[in-house]
Amino acid sequence: MADNRSEKGSLYRNEALTEIEKAEDGWCKKYPQERERLDEFTTLSGLTVSPLYTPASTPNMDYLQDLGFPGEPPFIRGVYPTMYRGSTWTRRQLAGYGPPEETNKRYRFLLEAGAEGINGVFDYPTLRGYDSDDPVAFGDVGRGGVAVDTIEDMATLFKGIPIDQVSISLVTCQPICNISVQSMFFANAQTRNVPLEHLTGTSQNDFLMETVMSIAPDVSPPRVAFKLSCDAIEFCARNAGRWNPVSFAGYNYREAGCNAFQEIAFVMANALACIEEMLRRGLKIDDFAPRLSFFFSAHNDFFEEICKYRAARRLWSRLIRDRFKPENPRSQALRFHVQTAGVALTAQQPLNNIVRSAYHALSAALGGAQSVHVDGFDEALCTPTELSSLTALRTQQILQLETRITHTIDPLAGSYFMENLTNEMEKRIVGLLEEVDSRGGIVKTVEDGWIHRAISDSAYDYQKAVESGEMPVVGVNCHRLSEEPYKAEIFATPETLAVQEAKLKRLRVERSADQAQKALDDINRCCERDGNLMEVIVESVKARVSEGEISRTIRDFYGKWNPPLF
Amino acid sequence: MKHKIRVIFARLGLDAHWRGSVIVIRALREAGMEVIYLGNQMPEAIVRAVIQEDPDVVGLSTLSGNQMVLAPMVVEGLRQNGIANMPVVLGGTIPQDDILPLKEKGIAEVFGPGSSLKDIVVFFTRCGCGDIKPGHSLSAELTCGTAQAGKDGCAK
Repeated sequence: MADNRSEKGSLYRNEALTEIEKAEDGWCKKYPQERERLDEFTTLSGLTVSPLYTPASTPNMDYLQDLGFPGEPPFIRGVYPTMYRGSTWTRRQLAGYGPPEETNKRYRFLLEAGAEGINGVFDYPTLRGYDSDDPVAFGDVGRGGVAVDTIEDMATLFKGIPIDQVSISLVTCQPICNISVQSMFFANAQTRNVPLEHLTGTSQNDFLMETVMSIAPDVSPPRVAFKLSCDAIEFCARNAGRWNPVSFAGYNYREAGCNAFQEIAFVMANALACIEEMLRRGLKIDDFAPRLSFFFSAHNDFFEEICKYRAARRLWSRLIRDRFKPENPRSQALRFHVQTAGVALTAQQPLNNIVRSAYHALSAALGGAQSVHVDGFDEALCTPTELSSLTALRTQQILQLETRITHTIDPLAGSYFMENLTNEMEKRIVGLLEEVDSRGGIVKTVEDGWIHRAISDSAYDYQKAVESGEMPVVGVNCHRLSEEPYKAEIFATPETLAVQEAKLKRLRVERSADQAQKALDDINRCCERDGNLMEVIVESVKARVSEGEISRTIRDFYGKWNPPLF
Repeated sequence: MKHKIRVIFARLGLDAHWRGSVIVIRALREAGMEVIYLGNQMPEAIVRAVIQEDPDVVGLSTLSGNQMVLAPMVVEGLRQNGIANMPVVLGGTIPQDDILPLKEKGIAEVFGPGSSLKDIVVFFTRCGCGDIKPGHSLSAELTCGTAQAGKDGCAK
């Protein structure tokens, strides 16, 4: 034993390694390369994959330093000591469409069917900070998510749902949306006599979602979107200690075109910038770092995705330790939600997507995710129907209850291939992080469009690989059928615009105009003194000002930005 | 190709997905076309841009489900401004059942999920060469989801 660890903590004796390398060399020489069916085997993100991995693939592996134990730094084996033996990952199915009355029904349906958390997605106007009756909104009201204009809508959305017991994720992607919508959620909790400290949940609140993932005119300038995001993080650190005020949305970066390294490197660059800003605002690393959360994709390359999660956990732990020296080890623990990759699903032969998503979810589980959403099989066609939502939830339940993959922690650790790939991925992520740093940091790379170009380049490469057939997509570029044997039901968005318009019209008559004006003036004054906007807006929304009114006030003060349009 | 084909490309309404549009405009540019990308726009702004820029063809993209509301408004807006022969092409997550009604409302062609860039480029080229007018039917040649690139199956 002592002998084994004598070489700088390495798992292997030098002598043994040399022998293995020699034998491996001999095996390689005999290896009939010409019989291989591809010229090159790579991961989805382009790392070369060898025919075989051996102890020589991770010659310097130091178990205690590099792997360690679950619940302890570097957390590569999992962020909790018991992982899924304690409790399995949270089944957190995304849901939202139409007016809040309708989405409330879907939430209750999913909770009754065994979903444990709510993952509420908002419609396009809400995400962009517009009211349902805004002239730019009418084509998209109630689409892609639920329409929320005021605190009354928020009350309706969570009516009858125990918000002090169920953990709630608000997919308020863009900070301009989050600053209002999270405030409405908090204010509604206060109205229901639930103290903010008791709330558990997450808001997405990622400034890249506003400035990069949605290339649209008239968004907040990057520095403003970043400030709005940080205001919510600071507010929660001071007032809602169990709430995760940001979920760095690597999933969406990946959907927009990133490869696996970019997905992780860009979220980390974003998260590190947020940490710097919180420290600048006078918080201590341990006051907020344990509540920073991440959101990743589970794409097609099964092993690469598992290694991605593991590499991200180890790298984050070390980055936080080295740069910020926290006292609480939880500050180093990277917790993440996973959504199975929508971009990997096809409109052709849609039932095949059930299989794809199950593999995606399996990689998330083997990679140690804290919560998972499985996509509906109709993802490439429409908002999920009740049937596709239920099937997605059942996919998770089958994994958790039938497969027994949850019985031991980080089961793939120690595989020569997995540890080698984890190391390789970590190196690539570090390289990209350094590149972002050398270009002036994440906000700067957004402002000058470098990040937009990097993502679109990756997206184009991906598509070219599909076009050439190099990347097989069953049902699309191979194994196609001339007739679809199954026709998916298309979800019909319930009438939303008229419902929301009527509510807004009534509300604007009923509410006190003076109080509403005062609330908006308060927001404007807060902008002038560069204060924390969430502190003010949590109160403002109680005067029943709408999301659109709040965003307009913020935009009027800070101005708008047009991202690079290629 | 006699002249450089000029394309106006926009994402409809507030749809947040840009991947498809960015990939398509890149392929069009690589094929030698000039593409003016407007990002997210409402129909009136797209019509205004067409009047100003005088393109050969208009490309629209949406994955939000707003196609039945907003796409026909672009065609209608062009007609009202005396531009009746401008081909308007739509791509995105368009359910099969929407394709015929969209074509009846003047959309020249619909490219759904799984469409190949090659087909899209060919179609825009034909639009640019005056081959395609609104209201034509090309479905026999090009149907959503039958990508030509992989006709021979997987790579290996």
